[in-house]
Formats: sequence, structure tokens, C-alpha cells
Amino acid sequence: MTVDILLDGLFTGGVYALVALGFVMVFKSSRILNLAYGQMIAISAYVLYWLLTSVEVPTWLGILLLFAFGAALGFLIERLAIRPLLGQSFLVLLMMTLMLGFLFQGIIVLIWGVESFNLPFTPSGMLTIGDWQVSPATTWGFVVCLVVFLLLTLVFRYTKVGLAMRVVAADHEVAQSLGIMVRRIFSLTWVVSGFLAAMVGILVGMVWMVTPDLGDLVLGKGLPVLILGGLDSVPGALLGGLIIGLVEPLGGYWAPGIREIVPWVAMLLILLIRPYGLFGQKDIERI
Amino acid sequence: MFPSGTFNARPEQDIAIVRTKTQWLLLVAGLIFMFTLILYIPLAWQSWLIFVGIYAIAALGVHIMTGLCGQFSMGQAAFMAVGAYTTATLSTRYGVSPWATLPLSGIAAGLAGVIFALPAVRIKGFYLVMSTIAAQFIIVWFLREASWTGGVYGTSVPKITIGGEALNYVQYWWLTLGLVVVAIFFAKNIQRTTTGRTFVAVRDNDKAAEVMGINLFRTKLLAFFIGCFFAGIAGWLWAHFLLYVSPNQFAFKTSLWLLGMIIIGGMGSTTGAVLGVAVIRFMDKLVDELAPVVSAAFPSWSGQVAPALSLIVFATVVIFFILVEPKGLYHRLQRIILYYRLYPFSYHR
Repeated sequence: MTVDILLDGLFTGGVYALVALGFVMVFKSSRILNLAYGQMIAISAYVLYWLLTSVEVPTWLGILLLFAFGAALGFLIERLAIRPLLGQSFLVLLMMTLMLGFLFQGIIVLIWGVESFNLPFTPSGMLTIGDWQVSPATTWGFVVCLVVFLLLTLVFRYTKVGLAMRVVAADHEVAQSLGIMVRRIFSLTWVVSGFLAAMVGILVGMVWMVTPDLGDLVLGKGLPVLILGGLDSVPGALLGGLIIGLVEPLGGYWAPGIREIVPWVAMLLILLIRPYGLFGQKDIERI
Repeated sequence: MFPSGTFNARPEQDIAIVRTKTQWLLLVAGLIFMFTLILYIPLAWQSWLIFVGIYAIAALGVHIMTGLCGQFSMGQAAFMAVGAYTTATLSTRYGVSPWATLPLSGIAAGLAGVIFALPAVRIKGFYLVMSTIAAQFIIVWFLREASWTGGVYGTSVPKITIGGEALNYVQYWWLTLGLVVVAIFFAKNIQRTTTGRTFVAVRDNDKAAEVMGINLFRTKLLAFFIGCFFAGIAGWLWAHFLLYVSPNQFAFKTSLWLLGMIIIGGMGSTTGAVLGVAVIRFMDKLVDELAPVVSAAFPSWSGQVAPALSLIVFATVVIFFILVEPKGLYHRLQRIILYYRLYPFSYHR
């Protein structure tokens, strides 16, 4: 029984890691904390639901269309809302992304009201691995998470674009002088982040009920993971997600009421002891 | 800037909040207008007006933390909840008079703020924002789970009485306005004291401030204490007005609304904070009035138009201000006044 819970927590941690990854991608390159990300995920889940149930496209096409939607959403946010504010103080950008989140949530509530659902292709029943039973939805989340992190590591290590992104993350001026178009990289990271939001939207739509509060819920899981791993560290996001995923059910096991508060308390402790997270750069405090 | 030929001849004139006789006259007239305003407006707007006052006090708290000291707080609603629950618990369970709980609510909220601001010494920027968001979620969670708070359903709060008679709406507005005036005066005045100037120094450059001998730790904690004290007072008013508190009233959203209000009004200005509250609350009221019309036009959305429009309008307005008028309404007001003062010589900027 206990192992089941831990395994489920670990697998859910994969989803958390993917959520945190979306923050890290944007933060690493442009030092912007995208607090609209939770709502980007929620709106992706709703759009997929709409595509599958109202437009009635086949599932595979719906998912493809959703990826296109996510990427376009990321691109548009960067171009219309973020680019005019580049170079301004961080609070301005933070408020901008927060307000975008409000806007998305308003649109969700306006169009879909208080409907709540799981995505139609959510697998039911339990999956048996060896002696243990886990939910198939979270298992999918974990597998997708591992694949995405592996792919990203490969991209960052072996492709030119990935290298350019790393240079931009390290130093904007150096990147500029090397002939890398920093703004294009910013744009690209937002597209990737939007794409990830679509992917997480699918997973989250299977793991949790989709409600208008989904965005806040996802944000509430993603931020502690982000702080634990370090704001600008890709492996940190993975490890942080898995740790929070494991710690959460442990807290719930100890006292059922505290489950939802465990990530926040963990985050406060990290902020007190090691504000830059497990893998974050120390100099980040100076921003 | 003054019109040409006008100078401050004495230091008292330099530091005065209200400078000229005309301004005194305007101030008194404005105060009389505000105190009697509730008598002219329809009943449906009376509770709206009182809430403007309550939000104004909370927003002034954010103004002191964020606008003056540069410490971003996204948990103001939770600190309001601390104040509200302090008075609810003390007056319902222990029979303490609401008047006695007024300062206690403020102090309880202030102490809660200090506890969550403790990491603020080591961290800033994003990390501080995170810590205040954590405060928001942890406090509200605690109020929902703890046994003595009444859980999700909340708890009832007694009415405020004077000489055995409960306050009606009009009297409650006078009480609220009285507290708002005190809060505005305090916020305005603190900018002229050593404390306020220390806040501004920390906001503008904390390293330079530290080199000049300012104790960063104390200054930041003090800013949090004062800001959250205001939140506690607002929570006290909130609880005794609604006569009922529940954790859902103090959502994360409310904290962000307060932050949005001071951005719209103009960061770092007392007038701006109050202006922002009035504008945002007025727009929210308009949306409430408009929602039935919109739902009539689009029947398929009827149930959700009001909450959705309120979110969308607020977000759009703040985004508009961030993109087009980042310095806020107060800055624009200043420009207009300046234009009027310098009228024939409009060369200035």
C-alpha cells in the first residue's frame, strides 16, 4: 500500500517536473517568471476538450492541433505582451504575466463556465507493475516527462539552436556579439514553453479534474518545484518535481489534511536555507 | 513644480502636506463631501462605498510595503484574513469588545507579516514574491483546517455597537472613512519621517542604503509590519461589516487585485493607491451592472458572465496601464495639474 502511494507520488512528480520545466525554459533565457503558465496549461486542456467533444476531431488530430495552438499561444504572448516590456523591472513583467493569467482564466470561465471533466481518452482502471498498482494517467505523465527531459538534454547538448539557447542564458551581450539573435531565442523559448504547456495540459487533464481553478492548482504545484530545483536549472526541475511528488504523499500519509500545504512549507524552508535551490546559480540573488 | 513666482520661503512650508489656504478649503470640502456621500447614493451603492474604504486601507498597506519599501507582497489578502479572524475569534468566543480588537487585529496581522517576511532579509525579487505567495496559501489553508476557525464555513462575527445600538450602513461608512483618513494621513506622513526615507532608500538601492548605516533587516521587517498592520485593520472592518468570515473571502485573487490597484494608481504614491482602488472598484461595479445585459445578449453564457467579465476587464485594464501608462493615474493627474499651473508657459517638458 505504502509503496503504491510513493510510486504514484513519484509518477505525479513527473508531471510537476514538466510544469516547472515550462517556467525554467523562459526564465533561463529571458529572466521572466511566467506566472500565466498555469492558465496556459488550463486553457490547453480546455481547448483539447473542445476540439474532441464539440468539433469531434479524432484524438490524434486533436493533440496535433493542440500542440500547434500551444506553440502559437506562446509565440503571441511573447510578441504582443512581453516584447514591448523587455528591459523593464521584474515586477512589471511579473504583473503582466499574472494579468495574462487572469485574462485566460476569465476566458475559460466565460466560455466553459464551471464545467469540470477529465479528458475523454483518460485510461481507466489501474495499471499493475510487478506487485504494485498505479494509475495509468500518472504513469503516462512520468514516461512523457522522462522522454521530454531526455530530448531537451540532447537538444541542448548537440544542436546549434540548443547551444545558442545556452549562450543566451549565460550572457545576453556575449550571445549578441556572437551573432545570435537574442530576441529570436526569447521568442523560441516562449514557443517551446507554450508547446510544453499544451503537453502538460493533456497530462493534467487526465491526472486531475479540469476545472476553472486548474491553472491555480498547477501553479501551486509548479512554483515550489521550481524554487526547490533552482529557477534556471533543467535537471533541477526534474529532480525537484520528483522530490515534491514524493514528499507530498508522505506528508499526506502522516496527517491527511496537510497534503496540499506540504509543497509550500517545503518551499519556505528552501527559501530560508538555500534560496537559489538545489541547482540554481548563486548569483541569481542579485537580480 | 510651482507656478512662476511662487516659492516656499520657510521650511514649514516645504514640509507641509497641505500647503495653501485653497488646498485646506478643498480638503475640508472634500472631507465633508466624502462623509455625506453615503446619504446621496442609492442603497445598492452603500455597501460598495464601504468596501472601497476597506480596500483602500489594505491597498495603502501594499503601498507602504511595495511602493515605498520595494518589498513585493502578493499575500495581502491572507494578512487581511489574519486580522478578520483575530477579531472574529476574540469577540465571538471570548466576548472581547470589537473596539478592543481593532488594534489587536492590526498587531496580529503585522506579526504574521513579520514571520513570513523573515526570509526577506536573505532574498529579494522573485524569491520574496514566492515567500508571500506561500504565506497566502499557508495562512488560508490553516484557517480552513484549524478546529477553532469554523473550517470552510467560517464563523460569524458580532456587530459593532455604540451605546448598545448596532451601527447601520451610514454610521459604518463614517467609521470606515474615519479609519481611511487616519490611514492616508499615516501613509502620507511616514514619507516625511526618517522611517519613510529609510524605506525609500532600501527600495532604490539596498546596498547603498546598507552602506549608509541603514539596518536592512529592521527596515524590511518594519515595512512588512506596517503594511500588514493596515491589512489587519482592513480585515477588522471587513469582518464586522459582513458579520461573517470564511477562508474563501480572502483568495489569492484579492491579493493580486490589491497589487493591481496600486499599479493602476501609480506605484509609490498615496493618492495613487486610493485612486487605483476607487477606479478598479468602480469598474467592477459597472461590470456587475452590465453583466445582466451581456447575459441577455448571449444566453448560452448566462451563468458565468459576471465572474468572467470581472476577471477579463480587470486584467485588460491593468495590462493597458502597464503597456501605455506604466506610471499610473497619479502621474497623469500630476501632468494635468502641472499643465494648469504653468499654463501660459507650457514649455516645461
